[in-house]
Amino acid sequence: MPIKLMAASRRRPGLTRSEYQRYLEFYHGTIARQERLKISTYVQNHVIDGAFGTLADETHQQVANRDAVVELVFDSFRDMIETLEPAVPSAASQDGKFFADECNNIIVMAEEEEVPVPNPIPAFNPGLGIVQGVGGLKVLQYIMRDDSVFREDYLIHWRKAHQHAMENAPYAREQLRRCVMNKRSRINDNDGAARAHFKMVDPPVYDLVVSHWFDTIEQAGAFRQYLEAMQSYPAPFANWSKSFYLYTRQVVIIRDTPQDV
Amino acid sequence: MSAITAETRAQKNYSDWYASTKAKSLRPPLTPEEEARPFSKYYYEEIPEPDPKHLKKMDKPCDPSLAIEPHQINDLLDPGELDVEIGWCNLENGAGFIANRIVYPEITADMIDWWFAWHALEDLRYRIWYPPQHGGIMVSPEARKRLLDPAVPFAEKNWGQIHHVTEDCNCGMENIDINFLSPKDIGFDMSRWKKPFVSAFAGGQGWAVTVDKTDMSITAPAVMCHIFRQHPDGLEHRTRFWMGYRLSNGMPELSLPPGISVPVEAIQGLARHNVKEFTRFKYFLPRIYAEFGGRMEA
Repeated sequence: MPIKLMAASRRRPGLTRSEYQRYLEFYHGTIARQERLKISTYVQNHVIDGAFGTLADETHQQVANRDAVVELVFDSFRDMIETLEPAVPSAASQDGKFFADECNNIIVMAEEEEVPVPNPIPAFNPGLGIVQGVGGLKVLQYIMRDDSVFREDYLIHWRKAHQHAMENAPYAREQLRRCVMNKRSRINDNDGAARAHFKMVDPPVYDLVVSHWFDTIEQAGAFRQYLEAMQSYPAPFANWSKSFYLYTRQVVIIRDTPQDV
Repeated sequence: MSAITAETRAQKNYSDWYASTKAKSLRPPLTPEEEARPFSKYYYEEIPEPDPKHLKKMDKPCDPSLAIEPHQINDLLDPGELDVEIGWCNLENGAGFIANRIVYPEITADMIDWWFAWHALEDLRYRIWYPPQHGGIMVSPEARKRLLDPAVPFAEKNWGQIHHVTEDCNCGMENIDINFLSPKDIGFDMSRWKKPFVSAFAGGQGWAVTVDKTDMSITAPAVMCHIFRQHPDGLEHRTRFWMGYRLSNGMPELSLPPGISVPVEAIQGLARHNVKEFTRFKYFLPRIYAEFGGRMEA
């Protein structure tokens, strides 16, 4: 079962967002292609916009800035460790300091679960209609678990809240092309050495990151409608003040053609 | 609106439960409320010592080439015995392997199904099982609903539910989250899931970390299987642990960093704990089942 490492980072001091994203795609991405090791898939999500917390919050409760989320997929946990902690340090592992504010990274090691959507193909100009679940706008939703809720119940409540949101947000129901739960693995608990290396002090822990795909940035309002409907789900399960979402443009760095196609 | 009972009063939210585990790990005296529970007398019983010959088999590691790996779990449905029925070792890949076998003359499969669901509802129910090393237990509100749902059979109540136990397996008190699974979800071939090869089952995947957790503590995965079948002398209980493995979408995957092995002390410690807690179980379950069996409330 593949495991995915998701790193949400922000740019180092002194860089513009464009400079950061240029470096990430053309320098860091190239290094990863040159020194692939055991990476199965590598996708960068370049942030266009996003929101942190809620309108009810007087001020931000944590770092409220993310410029990209990179997703590295490995066939196994062992492949991930052998790639991220090679015997001889890789160029990619030493490159981060040139563009990222590494001590503020948010790392999630996750396992994916696909959530079916009612309309994976647009009604407008679907072409041959044989390609499903794609979109030019990818929304990454980091949902902080309410401290009082058990992890297992949190996932139960998310599923119910998602259902509630889909029922009460008709625009999102029509426009959501793909939805994937990225569920934090407990193996992530053992990243103490990495956190120490990057001088990360008590980084926020997210038990769930949900990826949503829409056709284009024009459909961002569908996600907003979905979010408001989700937040109206009656059972408290999330700390929305410490949750955030990012509108992103997906950049594929490494993805092989599936062997079974 | 459901009535408030001892079984529902025990519910804590996650943060309150987690904050309580250090205190639980110190195995404090029973509270007045616990003393008043009808099964509190079991807490004060003398705990039977295991058969010395049985425990001695856990003194030294067995030959790892004779052990089975988690993807061979269906070998447990074969008639007869496997090469290692009692023993422990490090596998070649660094994982920890434990096998244990014990026959219960007076225990039935119904008792097993009942016990594994019943004991999750209160700290004291877990503590009376093996007072020297059991600190407490908690389930989530959603799990409690399922456990108390009379429409769910005892054998299925735990499927997909997590028991959060505080327990010492001879390496200090740990918080262990045991995600119980159905036999299908742990990887058994359900076309072979029938008597006389199997009569009851409890198992799943656990994550264990010290109650004194720090940023650098290791949260260790393990796959656990308790499978029971009829035997001429009663009910035969066969245990297997694979430490260092986690289940990922139902498939066991070694989750140790390269070059790392599960410490011998942890494997042997759990093996010895297993012999002791199930020796207690052998003598205690028939009696407590006679008093409280067949229902979740007490």
